[in-house]
Amino acid sequence: MQTKGLKLTDVLTTVVVAIVFGIVYKVWGPLYYAVKPLGLHLDQLIYGMWFIAATVAYLLIRKPGVALLAEVAAASGEFLVGSEWGLEVLFYGFVQGLLAELVFAAFRYKRFDVAVVSLAAVGSTIASLVLDFYKGYIDQLAWWNLTLFIGARFVGAIIIAGVFAYSLVKALEATGVTQLLRPTTKEDYDSLDK
Amino acid sequence: MRWNIEYKETWLHQTNPTAKLLLFLPMFVVIVFVHNPNVLINWTIGFTALFMLFSGYRMKHVLLFFVPFLFIFISTSSSMILFGKGETTWFRLGLIHITEESFYRGVHLGFRTLLFAIFGLMFALTTKPVLLFYSLMQQAKLKPKYAYSFLAAIRLLPIMLEEFQTVHQALKVRRAAKAKGFRGKLELMKRYAIPLLSQSIRRAQRIAVAMEAKGFTSERTRTFYYEVTLGKYDVYLFVVMCVIVAVGYYMAGALPYVAIKDVR
Repeated sequence: MQTKGLKLTDVLTTVVVAIVFGIVYKVWGPLYYAVKPLGLHLDQLIYGMWFIAATVAYLLIRKPGVALLAEVAAASGEFLVGSEWGLEVLFYGFVQGLLAELVFAAFRYKRFDVAVVSLAAVGSTIASLVLDFYKGYIDQLAWWNLTLFIGARFVGAIIIAGVFAYSLVKALEATGVTQLLRPTTKEDYDSLDK
Repeated sequence: MRWNIEYKETWLHQTNPTAKLLLFLPMFVVIVFVHNPNVLINWTIGFTALFMLFSGYRMKHVLLFFVPFLFIFISTSSSMILFGKGETTWFRLGLIHITEESFYRGVHLGFRTLLFAIFGLMFALTTKPVLLFYSLMQQAKLKPKYAYSFLAAIRLLPIMLEEFQTVHQALKVRRAAKAKGFRGKLELMKRYAIPLLSQSIRRAQRIAVAMEAKGFTSERTRTFYYEVTLGKYDVYLFVVMCVIVAVGYYMAGALPYVAIKDVR
């Protein structure tokens, strides 16, 4: 039986997984500005890592609200361990999680394949770009530079938060741990009747 | 999260975490809509002073905390300086095109990021995570299941770090702790992530069952081990922030550093 809303078990698992990614998010910061070869935006290829908590948590727990909670929790984790970006990570986390959540909601939380996850990664990318538009004046970059910037971020997001997140969860499924998490499906009940 | 660095408890530590968060968060929005670099420079000076004087940490530690900010400053401002649009050319070499406008816009972005970073650091270094979540439950009516989940997750961090060390050593012994290329690096991350995540999930499940049994989810009329209240220090912080914002804004008009008023 699926109960309404998230239970403590779901929340705790989501937050714990998200905080693991929060640490990754924090470590990713120095890496991000280390690979920045003066403005050529290669760094944007690895930006997608900051969207991964939402997609991984959604694939693991498969419930409404998990993606948003995970991304907010990961951002808070990053913030609390002292992110270089400080306050803004909370805003970015919230908006990125929200758009990923909306993508999953658009599919009525019924699809868990690599295409949907990649689409959620695209959603998070759009969210981050909107904030960058206000915060970073990115529209004031020369057009070729802006194209490179946006293109690299989309590609990186789909590779990391889409395809990589999916393969990560597939590998986790092989360990059997995901059976603890997911709500029972119709197939499970059907298999009992056989 | 605090490291084991000694510090004095100052009035900034005594402020209410929720109040502090609600004072700092809107600053993000305010700063994003400021386009005059003079204002941002003044605010950066003001809030850096507040942080240095009242964070309660030693000056050498404070200066160490500021080192990463230098990288952030350079990395956020550089693309705009080198590749931004502008009219008055200063320098051109191949794709690089530095103009007066793009230079000031880049510097403005640098200060903007610096300000966010200072607010973030000030919050992180003067707030105990435990009290933050207790305060969010009491002042912001955050549901206990969320708050206690965060608290439990924070407590699990040291165990996770220990597990990371174990996995790292096990991989090292098997010469599997290094990989080449982008694909190899992703594969390597999986090698670390799978055991860490699966163990964390199992642990979270066990803890959740225990917490549910002990009634951590009950929401009506619950009592708290830590009572967090609002106090006079929250008013101090509000007043100090208003003064810095107002004086910085006024001085930017009266005594500007650069002639540019709008970097867009």
